[in-house]
Amino acid sequence: MSEQLMRALDRLSRVRGVRGSMYVAAEDGLPVAQLLMENVNGKVLAAFAASLARKVSGAAAATGGGRVRFVQMLSAGGVLLVAGVGGELLVAVVADPGVNVGLARLEMLRAAETTA
Amino acid sequence: MADDIRALSTALARDPSSLRYVDLAEALRRRGQLQEAMQVALHGLGRHPGHADGYDCLARIHSDRAELSEARAAWERVLAILPEHLGALKGIGFLYFRQGDVRRASEALEHALAVDPADEATRRALAAVRGEPAPARRSGPARTRAALQPAPEPAPAASVVTAAPATPAAPAAPVAAAASAAPHAPAVSAASAPSARPPVFGGLEGATTDILLLDARGLVMAGGLSAGDGSDVSELAAAALAGVSGEAERTCEYMALGAWTAIVAEAEHANVVLAPASEGAVLMVRRERSTPVGLALRIADRARGAAVRWLQSVGV
Repeated sequence: MSEQLMRALDRLSRVRGVRGSMYVAAEDGLPVAQLLMENVNGKVLAAFAASLARKVSGAAAATGGGRVRFVQMLSAGGVLLVAGVGGELLVAVVADPGVNVGLARLEMLRAAETTA
Repeated sequence: MADDIRALSTALARDPSSLRYVDLAEALRRRGQLQEAMQVALHGLGRHPGHADGYDCLARIHSDRAELSEARAAWERVLAILPEHLGALKGIGFLYFRQGDVRRASEALEHALAVDPADEATRRALAAVRGEPAPARRSGPARTRAALQPAPEPAPAASVVTAAPATPAAPAAPVAAAASAAPHAPAVSAASAPSARPPVFGGLEGATTDILLLDARGLVMAGGLSAGDGSDVSELAAAALAGVSGEAERTCEYMALGAWTAIVAEAEHANVVLAPASEGAVLMVRRERSTPVGLALRIADRARGAAVRWLQSVGV
């Protein structure tokens, strides 16, 4: 299983601009598998990804939006992406501001399916 | 409302041992006179230290004052007295939800639902806590409009107490039973209705149904969000997002990403955009799934501008 996860993360890391990717336990926000550049704080990314997924899922559910599939946080210095929301494992990515979000999204949804 | 307070004050002055102190404290709370409400509740509880509805009211006052640990302690006290007190179960469930403790929130709301399986507000809240799609409304015996209001907090009395049947655990206290039943409903529902909130987003599509401004604690400030059936779900959505701005800021800081500008969530039926306003306030804009994310971001940017101007005008 962990080889499968690492292969999926490896594919994600080939998307230009991706600085790091990881699988995160949705329940407790702990990293499960990760492939990160040296200066990327995986623990912070994992904790935030799980919390953000839970919060936006709650808000979307409350308003009749249904299940959340993909979340992106935009900031001046980069983007954080989360996929696989609703499952046991989330896929989280941190990337440069200019990353092709569409491509990263496709790879992330594919990576999320790996664990389904 | 002022007349109500006068009448209740008179009644209480006439009979200081009356349990109507709960009604008076609740009326004061809903008027925003939290200090006075607190004094009345504490005074009443001094005379009736085992009165569950009194502690329930005290918990709501604490919750409104953002004193969450005190609110929790008061609701725990209620549940120690009456383990199936619907108001306390929903109140404490919502409190856990706001604090991000999904497991405990689910447990409390499941317990509340076991006490009153027909309570649609609890059912909806439980779905939101679990991040599940809102359940279809069940057909059944007619219930009060208030009971169908989904907003359990920050005025838990709105749904918590209004949805509660007269609790069988207050047999010797008809007044106390009244305190936990229908009279709370219309006033609180009206107070939390989108139309009663500041018209911050006038001119923008969905100003009171798809755009919401909430503060850092997850309390509604302006705008509104409606569910598919037209019911107002603003409080529930705001509670779900409590603290999101602070977490986003801290994460960006730890990861040297600069300031966050937007969060976009793509859900099955809607795109949801969050944007920082000021002092931890967050704007939430919901658009149909078919709306391109780029367009939703532009709309959110306009709404954010309106929110920031309004916050500045009120000195926040």
